[in-house]
Amino acid sequence: MIIETLSADVKSVVDRWKDRRGNLITILHDIQDRYGYVPREAALEVSRQMDAPLARIYEVLTFYNYFKLQPPGKFNISVCLGTACYLKGAPALIDEIRGILHVEEGQTTKDGFFHLQIVRCLGCCGLAPVITVGDKVYSAVKRSDVMDIIAEYSKDSVKNG
Amino acid sequence: MKRVLIQDTNGKLKKETREFLVSLNSQLRDRGLSSEVQTLMAADIGVYNRGIALKVLPEGFTYVNLEQKHIPEIIEKTLLKGEQVAGIAREGSVGQMRIVLRNCGVIDPESLEDYIAHDGYQGLARALELGPEKVVEEMKKSGLRGRGGAGFPTWMKWNITRGVQGNEKYIICNGDEGDPGAYMDRSVLEGDPHSVIEGMMIGAIAIGATKGFFYIRAEYPLAVERIQKGIDICYSRGLLGKNILGSSFSFDIEIRLGAGAFVCGEETALIASVEGLRGYPRPRPPFPSVKGLWGNPTVINNVETLANVSYILCKGGEAFGKIGVEGSTGTKVFALTGKVRNSGLVEVPMGISLRDIVFEIGGGVLDNRAIKAIQTGGPSGGVIPEQFFDTPVGYESLQKLGSIMGSGGMIVLDENDCAVDISKFYLGFCVDESCGKCAPCRVGGTQMLAILKKISHGKAEEEDLARLSQIAQAMQKASLCGLGQTAPNPVLSTLKYFMSEYRAHVIDHKCPAGKCSSLVSYRITREKCTGCGMCARVCPADAISGSRQDKYTIDAVKCISCGQCFDVCKFTAVSRQ
Amino acid sequence: MAMTKEDLLAIKNKTLAGQPKNWIRVGYSTCGIAAGAKEVLEVLSGEVKARGLELQVKKCGCLGLCSAEPLVEVSVEGAPRVIYGKVNKDVAHKIMDEHVCQKRLVEGHIYEI
Repeated sequence: MIIETLSADVKSVVDRWKDRRGNLITILHDIQDRYGYVPREAALEVSRQMDAPLARIYEVLTFYNYFKLQPPGKFNISVCLGTACYLKGAPALIDEIRGILHVEEGQTTKDGFFHLQIVRCLGCCGLAPVITVGDKVYSAVKRSDVMDIIAEYSKDSVKNG
Repeated sequence: MKRVLIQDTNGKLKKETREFLVSLNSQLRDRGLSSEVQTLMAADIGVYNRGIALKVLPEGFTYVNLEQKHIPEIIEKTLLKGEQVAGIAREGSVGQMRIVLRNCGVIDPESLEDYIAHDGYQGLARALELGPEKVVEEMKKSGLRGRGGAGFPTWMKWNITRGVQGNEKYIICNGDEGDPGAYMDRSVLEGDPHSVIEGMMIGAIAIGATKGFFYIRAEYPLAVERIQKGIDICYSRGLLGKNILGSSFSFDIEIRLGAGAFVCGEETALIASVEGLRGYPRPRPPFPSVKGLWGNPTVINNVETLANVSYILCKGGEAFGKIGVEGSTGTKVFALTGKVRNSGLVEVPMGISLRDIVFEIGGGVLDNRAIKAIQTGGPSGGVIPEQFFDTPVGYESLQKLGSIMGSGGMIVLDENDCAVDISKFYLGFCVDESCGKCAPCRVGGTQMLAILKKISHGKAEEEDLARLSQIAQAMQKASLCGLGQTAPNPVLSTLKYFMSEYRAHVIDHKCPAGKCSSLVSYRITREKCTGCGMCARVCPADAISGSRQDKYTIDAVKCISCGQCFDVCKFTAVSRQ
Repeated sequence: MAMTKEDLLAIKNKTLAGQPKNWIRVGYSTCGIAAGAKEVLEVLSGEVKARGLELQVKKCGCLGLCSAEPLVEVSVEGAPRVIYGKVNKDVAHKIMDEHVCQKRLVEGHIYEI
């Protein structure tokens, strides 16, 4: 994140939606799309530019699960915990990932490569249990598959990291 | 050329099915028909638990419970003469009926032409001709009730808002599909976006709205993209904006993204979210139909409801009203998932039995295990045990059983699923999603969840069971919104039907389904153990030791009851208690 | 140019008249894409081009049978219209070789919905 451009970035987002009534959530979505999360500096900037108290920004940010306040890892691992995935063994997948990466839900590994998050229903219940890494979806995942999936990306991170 | 599709049966009948095919092929060869008939295995011809089954194309005859002795007659009559063979033909088949999903998988969702070719925007044209009053009349004839959960008659909702004075009125499409296990709304938004846009426009005509909002989950980027493309193309072709189809009707639509809050399924919370605020519900009245978005009269309809609306206006309310049963007309889309063979979306006429949905369309339970119950309505619904599977599907009939239709989640539970565990899952979801505004929901939910956790760890007392239902009743009566009022339903319905299972946890400290890990222990039966060591390799706690000669044993102190040894053992030497 | 009611009918008739005789529909919703529909679509479109076939390959929504995704529906003259499930690259090639070209249905992947 480049602080110098942040103010201009936020301005372009705020300007884009300034005529829209009730635009705060839309603006925060755009900011998260850009940075992968909503940095505190950006929230402050939104507060300044919209002339709204910071508390007003944060009451929305903290209410909705979708908004993230921490930077994501290089690879985001999302485990679906919708009903179908839950019944078909998603909790065991979470255990396995925790064990391999030594992170809890919502945390990023020390090297910044992997971030583990639990999501509610990705809407692919027929393929349960489902996990996604970045944009790639893995379906009907078994506990024994988890190591291989993570290994795929670990190699990447060694190569490019 | 004729085709014979034989259902691939992977279970007990695998060998017999293969033999049947071999025999059929050799008889075809003997009669010199090999080049005129193609025989092949098909993954699924939609027939279950009826022995060997096949289907002949192009006639479409389906034969069931077959034996090799039937082959000559099938060749003689059907393959040579195109006639049906009596006695083995499938009878009384149960099928799906596609109204909401009529275009899903049929049209290109990004093509307006394709939608119009499939009668698209005919309903809108008709609604413009009829005018508001008659549109409502048409909806009344159809008997359509809201598909989002509560089942309030759509015409009535519209009629109330139509009657309210106001300069500006709004219509919102609720696409914030929150039930973790239902995804029909996503499928319709992605597969047939114009049907929902058209439905919204018809609603707008009825109530006199000038502006509509799609409120869609941010987790559904493809749905958002397809609706946005749909809206854009409508503007460019004059189907949105001013003077639509040359009439005096003008209408605008924009999309608002949800941000992950189950409570926004509640109308007043959803409205707050569209306004850019946190999704807090507020007491009603005033109802949104009178005082909604920015204080203006507002109607909120669910995606599936609106997809029905465009169909109803096109085909007529009366015709729609004849589908289904009295009080629950039309069809319902269910997201049939869990331990079922064909998991996916099914659309069936109301009044069909739960058994037909699960066994005839869904193909029965996965891996031929015994069914325990089905759960409908997600976190606001309840479980229905097998003795009630012949109940016809409808709003009231499901309610009588202690569940609800809800948005259409239908989860199949098998013998390995635990009643306590599943209620803990749903309640945990609601506690997570409770907005915290009112105490009954915030405190009640947390307390109930604590008790359920105690039960699943075998640490509860008998009084806890009574406490559970007490708190549940308080939550139902005193919570501010639908989330808190319905959150105890999964617990209450499992208490009602699976009390003995709760008692087993509390009194015997056992989990009959073997799911609650602190109540389960594993041991290895020496006689069955081959000493392969698979279990020791997968054990994450290093609790299994042994050798090929000595066989393997589990150290109960180290064991964390994860069950991986149980899953991995090919010789059923690991037993669970 | 704003549309009128008459235009609706004209578009409908024109689109229906222009419907291709031979077509393949690929279920292209979130679940289908998650299961690999993109790859399948590429193979099918690529083959149609390479072989110079008169065959429309179209992206569609979800047919509903999510556990059998990716789903591909095929309708070509000389063979019955069927739905194939659990289609991967190999099966997609087979659909082109066997079903489209030889008019023989592909073994093991037909699903009735």
